[in-house]
Amino acid sequence: MKRQGCREWIVGLAALVALGTAAPAPAAEKTLEIGVLGPLSGGAAAYGVELARGAEMRADEINKAGGLKVGGDVYRIKLITYDHKASAADAATAANKLVFQDKVKYIIGNAVGATCNAVQTVTEPQKVMFAFVCWGTKNLGPDKPYSFRSMLSQWEAAEPFYLWMKEKRPNIKKVAVISPNDTSGLDTNTAVVKAAKGLGFDVVADETYERGTKDFYPILTKMLAKKPDLLDVAAAPPGEAGLILKQAVELGFKGAKGWTAGVNPATLINVAGQEAAEGVWSPVNVNVKSDFVDPKVRKFGEEYEKRYKEVPGVIAVANYGAFDVFTKAMQEAGSVETEKVLAALTSRPYDTVWGKLVIGAKETYGIDRQFLYPVVISEIRGGKAVDIEQVLPAALKALKK
Amino acid sequence: MPIELLVQALLNGFALALVYVLVALGLTLIFSILEIINFAHGEFYMLGGYATYFGFALFGLPYFPTLLLAIVVVGLAGVVAERLIFRHLRGKTLNAFIVSLGLLWVLQSAAQLSFGVLDKSVPSAFSGIIRAGGIIISVERFVVVLAAVGLIAVLYAFLQWSRVGRAMRAVAQDADGAALQGVNIEFVSMLGFAIGCALAGAAGGLLAPVFAVSPPMGALPVVKAFIIIIVGGMGSLPGAVLGGLLLGTVEGIGSLFFGSAAVNVLGFLMVIAVLLVRPRGLFGVA
Repeated sequence: MKRQGCREWIVGLAALVALGTAAPAPAAEKTLEIGVLGPLSGGAAAYGVELARGAEMRADEINKAGGLKVGGDVYRIKLITYDHKASAADAATAANKLVFQDKVKYIIGNAVGATCNAVQTVTEPQKVMFAFVCWGTKNLGPDKPYSFRSMLSQWEAAEPFYLWMKEKRPNIKKVAVISPNDTSGLDTNTAVVKAAKGLGFDVVADETYERGTKDFYPILTKMLAKKPDLLDVAAAPPGEAGLILKQAVELGFKGAKGWTAGVNPATLINVAGQEAAEGVWSPVNVNVKSDFVDPKVRKFGEEYEKRYKEVPGVIAVANYGAFDVFTKAMQEAGSVETEKVLAALTSRPYDTVWGKLVIGAKETYGIDRQFLYPVVISEIRGGKAVDIEQVLPAALKALKK
Repeated sequence: MPIELLVQALLNGFALALVYVLVALGLTLIFSILEIINFAHGEFYMLGGYATYFGFALFGLPYFPTLLLAIVVVGLAGVVAERLIFRHLRGKTLNAFIVSLGLLWVLQSAAQLSFGVLDKSVPSAFSGIIRAGGIIISVERFVVVLAAVGLIAVLYAFLQWSRVGRAMRAVAQDADGAALQGVNIEFVSMLGFAIGCALAGAAGGLLAPVFAVSPPMGALPVVKAFIIIIVGGMGSLPGAVLGGLLLGTVEGIGSLFFGSAAVNVLGFLMVIAVLLVRPRGLFGVA
């Protein structure tokens, strides 16, 4: 009797073991490596630092919450970040490393137009998903189906910005525009000039400069001789935009100041000084402490500031948002395979840090690959960016209709 | 074209060129005495910028004492570099070339790690503008020009009339001959390197409030300094001053007619022209 009981225990244990193996396995934990590119040093470093931090914050949130549940798998996000110093050649090298050496299928984060072109020569043929904040016109198109812009570009921002100026600041008639002489800069100047001329402004100067320039006196002397009412430091990165404004004021410029593609006003104010930065309008930047932005942006801003002791600019929010959208699309697709995620991405609006976000703008680029969300025009007052009005990009207006 | 615009462009060109002359003078002094081309010279300019940032912007010291401090600190950094590295490479041009390139990367990376990659702003030491007719120059740049001219004059007087300065010139002309006359070559080399670096530090300190400071900030001035030296003649102090003024003229006037990218090319075109017509530079000796 005793022996029989023992046998029953053994059979029971064996049955339990068998049942155990037959039961659904707990979700297997895997690692999803995602590439992040950007200028982490040099004149445009502010962009890269924000890209990396935005990615880092969302990846850490996902990992701390137990990982990204996609289908039956749980993925821990691992970021692989490379610095390309805003150089197209370095960006191509970094993209090759990410795609062929690290075998990533997603690169979420990059800035500076020329580097995006370089990265796309690698990502598109290899069907690697690529999200960026570059402002190049040709970075989006039907021939680049794996590329997405996660931030509003000059094409979405320039027209409503100049329309706002025409309505609210009718004394501005003559406009001078300056940007770096690379893809981002040239495209931004083109967008600004097109928007300004279309709205009846007189564009008296349309200048470009070499990235890394410190002395803007020569170019400003020429521009200010045309007596512009508005100086738009269109696509200049914050450090260089600050220097341009500082030196323009030193040369006696007293007109209005715009920054169509401006991000990170804190750096601009720091470099230009409070007096030269006073009154700068920007339609692209986001003030994370403003009442005009979604509460989620404010919350992101608080956590970013707590972690990095700096106030984030729009690029940090954009890349955080891009990570959010892409990871949600993976969950929606139930797979991390790029083709399935691609189909899921444009299928519906996403609730993100920006609030409701849609991926659209086919009418501009011929394909829906542009993140669209409301923008806020800010003005620098007393050393701080203060939001003054919310406007909708034309593409988003069209979508709303 | 209005004459004011032309004069303004010339002034713009001269103001910065005079500061780059300081960098060039340091570079050419080191070359004359140690027979090495220090590619890391721009990094000593960067150190001067950061010394000014810490003293003036962070610790609130008055500007000119901070500038003096920056000159001394960078001069001492030059002493360390000479004692540890360049003393052993005297006359070995190729070895020194490779080592100085390595030092460039080490100092730039160290600055990135220590000070961060973002531009750091130094507040203007002098505000306001000076207007004369249609010509405008900021007080800040005016002070920079005066300080640069003053430093060039002091260097000239030191080399021309002081005992150590004469010893330096003697070493530059013939090191063996100078040694036979009792000149302490090692001391003169160390001092020459220190003064050369201090001049770069002074330039960095002068331009820190005009621009911002960042780890790669030394790249542009050192390129300008090379243009100035090649045009003026390797090892020639008056040549460096003339080269600087020529570069200022070409860039100032060129900026009115060509874009900013083209202006950078003009400096190199000037170098090509001088090398074709007078390969040793305007004041260089064969």
